[in-house]
Amino acid sequence: MPTLTIDGREITVDPGTTVIQAAEELGIYIPRYCWHPGLKIAGNCRICQVEVVNPKLKFPCTIACNLMCGDGMVIETDSDEAKKARADVMEFLLINHPLDCPICDQAGECTLQEFSYEYGHDKSRFTEEKVHKSKRVQFSDQVSFDGERCILCTRCVRFCRDVVGNEELCLVERGDHEEIAVANGGGLTNPYSMNVIDLCPVGALTSSDFRFKSRVWFLEETPSACTSCARNCAVDIGTRWDKVMRLKPRENEHVNKWWMCDEGRLNYHYVNAADRLGYAYVQQGGKLVRTSVDDAVAMAHELIGKLPAEKLYGLISARLTNEEIFLAKRYLDQVAGAAGVGFLPRIGEGDDFLISADRNPNARGAGLIGVSAAKGLAADIKAGKVKGLVIFGDSFDHDEELMGALADLDFLVVMDYRLSETAKQADVILPGVTFAEKEGSITNIDGWVSKLNPALPPPAEARRNLDLLAGLLGRAGQDVPDTAEGVFRLLAETVSAFTDISYGEIFAASRQVATDAVVKAD
Amino acid sequence: MAYKLVERPDLTLAERLYLPAVMKGLSLTLKYFFKRKKFTREYPEEPTTVPEGYRGLPALVTDDEGRTKCVACSMCEWVCPPEAIRIIPGSLEEGNPVEKGPKEFTLDTLRCIFCGLCEEACPEEAIFLTDQYEFCGESREEMIFTMDKLLEIGGTRIKGVKKWKKESDAGFHNKGPIR
Ligand code: SF4
Ligand code: SF4
Ligand code: SF4
Ligand code: SF4
Repeated sequence: MPTLTIDGREITVDPGTTVIQAAEELGIYIPRYCWHPGLKIAGNCRICQVEVVNPKLKFPCTIACNLMCGDGMVIETDSDEAKKARADVMEFLLINHPLDCPICDQAGECTLQEFSYEYGHDKSRFTEEKVHKSKRVQFSDQVSFDGERCILCTRCVRFCRDVVGNEELCLVERGDHEEIAVANGGGLTNPYSMNVIDLCPVGALTSSDFRFKSRVWFLEETPSACTSCARNCAVDIGTRWDKVMRLKPRENEHVNKWWMCDEGRLNYHYVNAADRLGYAYVQQGGKLVRTSVDDAVAMAHELIGKLPAEKLYGLISARLTNEEIFLAKRYLDQVAGAAGVGFLPRIGEGDDFLISADRNPNARGAGLIGVSAAKGLAADIKAGKVKGLVIFGDSFDHDEELMGALADLDFLVVMDYRLSETAKQADVILPGVTFAEKEGSITNIDGWVSKLNPALPPPAEARRNLDLLAGLLGRAGQDVPDTAEGVFRLLAETVSAFTDISYGEIFAASRQVATDAVVKAD
Repeated sequence: MAYKLVERPDLTLAERLYLPAVMKGLSLTLKYFFKRKKFTREYPEEPTTVPEGYRGLPALVTDDEGRTKCVACSMCEWVCPPEAIRIIPGSLEEGNPVEKGPKEFTLDTLRCIFCGLCEEACPEEAIFLTDQYEFCGESREEMIFTMDKLLEIGGTRIKGVKKWKKESDAGFHNKGPIR
């Protein structure tokens, strides 16, 4: 086990550790473009220069990303020699770099800008004409490429080759005409292609979806999780003007490492869509009439109470949080005494990397709380076994069988974030929220519990789902907490799988702390 | 306690009468009324000229080819202390030497404090504080100036940064700072 000294601090590391990793462990940040913890070492950008203190060396600087730690090594990361070497590297990197910052989407989170500011020169000595390369190339519908901004770090190439396992991107030409291109004239088609946008340290690869929407420094970023499949990749929700502008993966070693899939990344437009429910509605003479949320809650409770309990069924979406599912089930079981509860299963195509075939983000959590997939609901309605249906947070607009069965119901109560076709059939509609407007926890396919955080306020008169559920329970005289924290405590007391998880573990840390207690308990 | 006692001066009879002083003042007024040149102006019939460097209404300018110089970088929006500027950037069509430009650019003249920071922050020399000091309206909405209006006020400025000129074009020098 080699012991070395970095900036005067000693550290013992496993054999095979590189200097940049050892420094990282000490909390010392060495600048980097081509190195990334999730990719193989390339060592081509040369910016991670450090000084190896050894009087025998004529040139003491070398790159830290491929330098293996040796016993007794003495490294200086911030010495004059190291800084001078970085300044020289910066000068080379900027020779052909265009002055695009004012219109470059990367500006503000561009390490070329940052390191240039920190280590670079303030004047260019290059008076010749810059090399021009391709600009505005669409590698795919989602990824735009600007060859002039590229610093040829090959992160994108290595991601496609080593992480996804297809060689869609490659280097073409040579010397200062070298460029990144899509191999064999194909496209960048892999389902994880947009990760190259985050990986690209400069603005050479940018998102077409986010293109020119907002400068990044205007965005407010809220740590949360993706709810498009059962993986629950950690994300940052970028918002501005009360709209979601983008989703970006956030590092989480247990769930998604540094990555997320394109489908999940782009699946946020419904939050900003025009069909969002801002008000409560009740059906009156074949028309939906707007009413106050409190009245709608009272009416829903009354309707549910009138029906014999054995004719009542509750659909609790597995897209809801653990807390919401818990309260919804408590209401249906203890207050309404529903004959059955279940969730709508959603199955898509999965792979062995991130995308899970289960497209319900919280099916695992629902299962642990005691809600399983609904079976034969349409048939039960048709047969008259189910006369009243309560749907918490879901819709089935494209399920013709279920949509057709709705006419046979005595009543339908829907709580959802949008005015779906399903909701339009309802007698009472309660306006809820999407993942971007609520706090709560979800349990992924492997049992890791992640936290959702509210990035936006609920639209108009809409309420957080927890408020609506607590309101329903309150009608029945049950006093339950309406904060996610409070409900989680209640949940942990009641459902054994969650007992070992402390609120603080998932809720306090800004970086998601996951726990495998659920896995053990299962 | 530190204080100073001030003696009341002994006034003469003339001073106590006040009238001579009033007469003196009035005669001075009368003298200026007939003799000296006027310092006031018959505004608004007679408009005023403002000195060089006056900080009036900020406006957008076009280059010699009539193109909006603004590239919607939002630097002015970011720096503006009262948040008077709001920009919705857009992508310009293929073939245009400029990739990005403002789709919407509004300036709330009621919020603007004429500090000039937008002009200072602009990397493209696309926004300037003009000598305009006359602008009014009947509603708040009217006082939020749109891009077209701002461009009309700003007019054309030939000199200054012309980033989108090709390096091969005559007279192009790439000797600026690298960041
Ligand atoms: S496009 Fe970006 S990630 Fe790819 S080589 Fe160029 S700078 Fe690196
Ligand atoms: S893999 Fe699943 S959880 Fe991850 S980003 Fe894609 S849809 Fe979202
Ligand atoms: S002059 Fe000052 S207040 Fe007015 S728009 Fe410019 S930056 Fe904003
Ligand atoms: S700073 Fe200049 S170029 Fe940038 S948005 Fe404002 S006016 Fe346009």
